[in-house]
Amino acid sequence: MNWTDKLSYQLFEPDRDQTPGEVIFFKLFELFVLFYTIKFAWEWGIYTQFRNIEVVLPLGLANYMDASIFFDYNLALIIAGFITILSVAAFFRLGFKWQYMVVMVLLHIQYVIRFSQGEIPHSQNLIGMAVLCFAIGAWFFPDKKQMPRFVMGSIIFFIGLGYTSAFFAKLVGTGINWYDGRHLWLWIGEKSIDILSREGIYSPNILQTLALQSTAMASLILLIGWMTELIGFTMWWKKLRPYTTLLLIGMHFGITLTMNIRFDAFVFQLILVGFPWYLLIDRYVNKTPLFMKKWI
Amino acid sequence: MNTSSAKRGLKIIGITLLIYTVLVASHEGEFWPFSIYPMFSQAGNPWTRAMVIDVTDRDANEMWEVHALDDRTADVVSVGYYNVDQIDFSNFVSKTENWTGSRRNALIGMFGSNVIGDRQWMVSKVKGELIGADSIAIRIIPFIKISSGATELNPNLPESDYFRGNNELDR
Repeated sequence: MNWTDKLSYQLFEPDRDQTPGEVIFFKLFELFVLFYTIKFAWEWGIYTQFRNIEVVLPLGLANYMDASIFFDYNLALIIAGFITILSVAAFFRLGFKWQYMVVMVLLHIQYVIRFSQGEIPHSQNLIGMAVLCFAIGAWFFPDKKQMPRFVMGSIIFFIGLGYTSAFFAKLVGTGINWYDGRHLWLWIGEKSIDILSREGIYSPNILQTLALQSTAMASLILLIGWMTELIGFTMWWKKLRPYTTLLLIGMHFGITLTMNIRFDAFVFQLILVGFPWYLLIDRYVNKTPLFMKKWI
Repeated sequence: MNTSSAKRGLKIIGITLLIYTVLVASHEGEFWPFSIYPMFSQAGNPWTRAMVIDVTDRDANEMWEVHALDDRTADVVSVGYYNVDQIDFSNFVSKTENWTGSRRNALIGMFGSNVIGDRQWMVSKVKGELIGADSIAIRIIPFIKISSGATELNPNLPESDYFRGNNELDR
């Protein structure tokens, strides 16, 4: 068995039979992705319709088209409507096997028109990757037993890859001294201005105060977070996955406390994909509901 | 899923990863949802954000002076209260290179002239940087004063702070 076979074994677990718990969990996870897909589509669409004025920063496909066209004529709302209809139909397996791919393209367009104002947020990336994995899975693995395994395995692969690539982006962008605590001071200052501007008031919390009082403490906070990113790829191994996931969730809480950046959808998705919830469901359910068999 | 399907699955992940790499490499690390997650990758650099300060009752000479965050005396206007996305607002102010008439009016449009009413708000840049070995400095730079129907640039700042590119139309 070479390393690619070992990796595919860890991600897709080909020797494990499909259980009712796996089917139920998969549909619940798909419902979670569906909820956030529709939520983001409408939030971005409504903001674009009422707030976007000029293109400040073209992202993705906006490099090849004039994104400002979508600021008027309710086009962003119409796209949100299409995403809603197509994704709900895809959830119930109505329509075509490439339907999720259309949702993916429309969601990308919705993202680039909404975030043409200068901000590049990442808190919605995992939902986007999940939609992409559903799109690829529905297209290439439409079989009821294959699609759940491919979708979950590929999502885990890209989550682990994303964290580890973030580690290397910091190493390349700054160097080995990235964890210098004074860098955290600058970021705390920057985020404090964002909050002061957004809310009109700001006061640092206990962790921020501790970090601002001690370079060593600030450096330790950065170093722990950075090392956690490095080991993100260990999610690929099913036995290590829950432990790596716990560390990553802890890191996100640390980011929220020190820099006031929340990654709600990110953390929810980590909680869902990082632990073998199907085992828990299998303890209480021994038969897949008939309606769910139709939607898988 | 059987073993051959698992191998096929990994091949498809590999092809997706190849497309991922090409797209992020050719689009400065971002092609949503693909990303190299470069946030915070360049540490230690000075930063610029933005905030709005209510200068309605302020002295005309004092309102344009650059001052430290700790020396701020005027109230900060909560942009979130007016449903303006702070990050978008900050990027709009800090990344705009040519403050044409339409760009300046866009600042009023973000809030709505009826919302501003008879008040005078100072759109300010806020700059942070490391000073020496153990401290950071945060300065507030009054940039553009907005009211319901007009905008005014800081007379103490050089014109190059407002017009850096070639587009000099509609000043």
